[in-house]
Amino acid sequence: MTETHYQGKLHHLQKELMSEYYAALTASANGSGVPAAYLLIGGNPVELLRAFDILPVFPEVNALQLAVRKQSLPFIQSAEFMGYSSDNCAYVKADIGMYFGGRQTPFATIPEPSLLLCNYVGCNVYLDWFGHLAEFTGQSAFQLDIPFIRSASGKPSKEDIEYVLRQLHHLIGRCEEITGRKLDEEKLREAVRLSSLTGDLWAKIKHLTKRTPAPYDAYFDSVTMMAPLYCLRGTPQGLEFFETAYAELLAKAEAGIGPLEKERFRYVIEGPPPWPHLRAFRDMFSRWDAVAVASTYSTVGGLWEFGFTHDPDHPLESIARHLLEWNLTNRNFLQRYEQIERYLEEWNANALIIHSVKSCRLFSAGQGDMREYFTKRGVPTLLVESDLEDPRYFSEAQMRNRIDAFFESIAHRPIREGVTA
Amino acid sequence: MSTQSLPQSIEALVERCDRIIEEPGFAPAVAWKQAAPNRAAIGCFPVYTPTEVFYASGVLPVGLAGGGNRMEIAHADSRFQSFICSIIKSTLEQGMTGLLDDLDGVVFHSICDPARNLASVYTRNFPETPVEYIHFPQNFEAEEAPRYLRDEYERVATFAGELSGRPMTTEDLRAAIRIYNRVRETIRRLYALRRDSPHLLRTRELYPLVRVGHLIPPEEHAELLADALQAAATREGRERDRIRVVLTGSFCEQPPLDLIAAIEDAGCYLVDDDFLIGRRWFNGNVPENTSDPLLSLAEDYLNASLPSPVKHDMRISPSELLVERARSHRADAVIVLCAKFCEPSLFAYPIYRKALQVAGIPHLFLEFEEKMWMFDRIKSEIETFVESLLFD
Amino acid sequence: MKYAAGIDVGSTQTKCIIIDENKQIVARALTDTGANITRAGERGYEAVLAAGGIAREDVLCVVGTGYGRFKVSFGDLQITEITCHAKGASMLFPDTSTVIDMGGQDAKGISVQNGEVVDFVMNDKCAAGTGRFLSTAAETLGLALDEIGAISLKARNPVRLSTVCTVFVESDIMSYVAQGKKTEDILGGIHSAIAARTIALVRRVGLKPNYTFTGGVSLNVGMVKMLEEKLGAPLNVSPDSHYMGAIGAAVFALEHAMSTAAAS
Repeated sequence: MTETHYQGKLHHLQKELMSEYYAALTASANGSGVPAAYLLIGGNPVELLRAFDILPVFPEVNALQLAVRKQSLPFIQSAEFMGYSSDNCAYVKADIGMYFGGRQTPFATIPEPSLLLCNYVGCNVYLDWFGHLAEFTGQSAFQLDIPFIRSASGKPSKEDIEYVLRQLHHLIGRCEEITGRKLDEEKLREAVRLSSLTGDLWAKIKHLTKRTPAPYDAYFDSVTMMAPLYCLRGTPQGLEFFETAYAELLAKAEAGIGPLEKERFRYVIEGPPPWPHLRAFRDMFSRWDAVAVASTYSTVGGLWEFGFTHDPDHPLESIARHLLEWNLTNRNFLQRYEQIERYLEEWNANALIIHSVKSCRLFSAGQGDMREYFTKRGVPTLLVESDLEDPRYFSEAQMRNRIDAFFESIAHRPIREGVTA
Repeated sequence: MSTQSLPQSIEALVERCDRIIEEPGFAPAVAWKQAAPNRAAIGCFPVYTPTEVFYASGVLPVGLAGGGNRMEIAHADSRFQSFICSIIKSTLEQGMTGLLDDLDGVVFHSICDPARNLASVYTRNFPETPVEYIHFPQNFEAEEAPRYLRDEYERVATFAGELSGRPMTTEDLRAAIRIYNRVRETIRRLYALRRDSPHLLRTRELYPLVRVGHLIPPEEHAELLADALQAAATREGRERDRIRVVLTGSFCEQPPLDLIAAIEDAGCYLVDDDFLIGRRWFNGNVPENTSDPLLSLAEDYLNASLPSPVKHDMRISPSELLVERARSHRADAVIVLCAKFCEPSLFAYPIYRKALQVAGIPHLFLEFEEKMWMFDRIKSEIETFVESLLFD
Repeated sequence: MKYAAGIDVGSTQTKCIIIDENKQIVARALTDTGANITRAGERGYEAVLAAGGIAREDVLCVVGTGYGRFKVSFGDLQITEITCHAKGASMLFPDTSTVIDMGGQDAKGISVQNGEVVDFVMNDKCAAGTGRFLSTAAETLGLALDEIGAISLKARNPVRLSTVCTVFVESDIMSYVAQGKKTEDILGGIHSAIAARTIALVRRVGLKPNYTFTGGVSLNVGMVKMLEEKLGAPLNVSPDSHYMGAIGAAVFALEHAMSTAAAS
């Protein structure tokens, strides 16, 4: 039984950089004069905000931070007191509760938004969430409408790209109004250039887990890298973080060191983590010497490992493509099956774990079908259910029972060299 | 098609509608298809599907209104979890048990996240069935949105034309707009009649009259509605001591007919509702005879369609609109009737609640499921609410 | 003679089994788990040793299972009751392909091959289809849990339930009582709804005969009949079926002891 938790340089640097980021949010809340924009993780166009020195604030990141620190429940309850249903997304409830709680969190004071940027990438809850924030703040939200991927090719149409580009120009207009400054095209190009370098490193990091043993856990350690990927992408600090992370993880890969003493099972995991019980959940896999070699959740903000890179020569076009095509949320559900299939094959995994969260129906609705699909293809698949934010929706004994039974059942099967579809 | 010349009673018309609604399968659509060549039928949710575009392409848009309370979900709950609303599962269940076999395709769009994923699950489980997905713009302020939606409709028209084997012409589309305008105009008049004289037309009567339009061709529906309007206007009756209620929240999954009756029997006149609101679509008529009718339809979606929690038009406040609606309908109260697990309607509630409290309009929040079978509990809750208002 | 033991520490009851080298059950013990789970395993073990008149040193290996399996600190291995149910069912009924288990908190379907789990599903957060639903129903009707199955068999016109939600079933039942429906018809409806729900669950691992029905609810004759009717196939049910987890654990204990002995 191993319960080691890999804590490297990247984990420490992450803490340091995120504290700086949160300090900047608190400063903005206290009147530093730096405007803040709320936006959503799915395909986030953070580069555009960088060009205007607008601070990106991700309500999803704040909500998950609250959950990890076991601070989410009182906020969820105060939102439910306002009439939010127990069946509504708990990210939204925690955020709204926190907003009315004076925007005070243990890690920062969250500033009021100068811009509510609703990058609508397939998640319909995003629209409700920012609609409510608009109602409560008296601000109008900018609905950046991203057409959902609905073609058989899995690609956006010419019209889709054109439509998004035109809206990006309107968004630039809105940012110019807020800051009183014209767009500095050079600055935008620089942010996109930094993003492209960051994205490339992130993609390389993702590919490292193809090795055996995987040098890090592509679920539990990936989430450490996701906050910098969104909150710091497009800045020199963001790039520095990923240079450090890549160097460290590459060294581990070269030395044949993984996050556990022994790697017995390699699995792909689908769905967001149970943030309020992250440690307990991780231990349930560690004790089986099971390592996640790929996770769909880590591609919500962007899907870099399959070849996407920002293009400083075409900054707006690449932002549009990122929003439309190169993130998990705006892709259709069957494209997610394909993504998982690639992980199973190319990342050499033996099993699929589906963590079905009630809050996020974009992720979870239909995962029973996904289970059916992969089981029929001979991939041992386990579906477990909890939530990403609401601590009440997690039964530790039940969860552990199912995970133990699953590994017991595959332990006696020959471990295949990857699962061929 | 009704050919009787004798005026029909509301009761007889409603009974006819009830029968069509409760009968499994799509007999009227099948009959319509067989009556002429190059016709097809497609299933769609009752939420803003551009019926004109399909009908003009020789495709009858048939409403997928769930499984009602007679269907047992035996297969589809292996695909969608217990926290997903019923209509998602009952739609898939109908597909899995062959009840949708008479339809030639299905169209989905971004009503909510489960509906979005259902499009994919449906595609995978029924590889032989053509499935289309429409992206409705959610940026209502963007000047390019009408053009974008127009092109999206054109794509859909191509899909529909391939199903029927009859490509749409501009003239076809103009004709379809005219007939659906007629339907909607009559529905608006029926709604106005009920608002002004709710004792002449019960919601348990109006609702099936509207809903049957999901299942029969629009010409037939227009005629039926005209008959109903005439019959209701000449009806006699006396207003009773009931509270006037605006009902909201049930725009997608539909409550059982008996639940609507139970709400009325508990002492309410429902003077406005949002049942099937996206099927009713527009505040006014879509401009007829324009040079680009696809664009007219697109513009009207963005600027003149009825509001619902799945449309996020930042130019309007849904809560103000609800308060305004309650006032203009002289409502004593609002009932928010949400389908269980329906995230869009559940999200609308806290916003409504605050606004109604500020406006001093009493309200009652209720949840229902299409498969509900017994109404004692919900009815006694409404009775208590009504009593609290009447004896105030 | 040497022996092996299986101890299933469940949320309400602790079940213990001892088998001999020929896989014959030689002792059973059923004790209440109580508040102290750590003690429950030990107490159950003492009870089963006493019941069989067996000395501790003659037991080669002990396997713990159930929710409290990690509290069986004196055990040699801990294995989930899912794996143990499959093992136990295959020992009693070697042709078992599908195990249907209905316990107090969980309902599950297990697809089995040669005593090993191929795939399994369990009920989600919703408690419908579990023993808890039936005990709520029994309580509402003022009946004992162990009599409702037999009464349900007398149903002539079973009612239709509008919900299988444990929270709301009570008011449904009250409405039917108020309407003057017969108790057996209400129970018939309840058993039918739960059986349908369970089959929908088990269908996810494939409905493949031969079926073995385990867990506390398998002692309910009404549920057995209802499931058989809906499946169109007979169910294997053993009077020991609520011991199934412990039996499986004991078989694992024996196999473990044999392989350790062979290795040394």
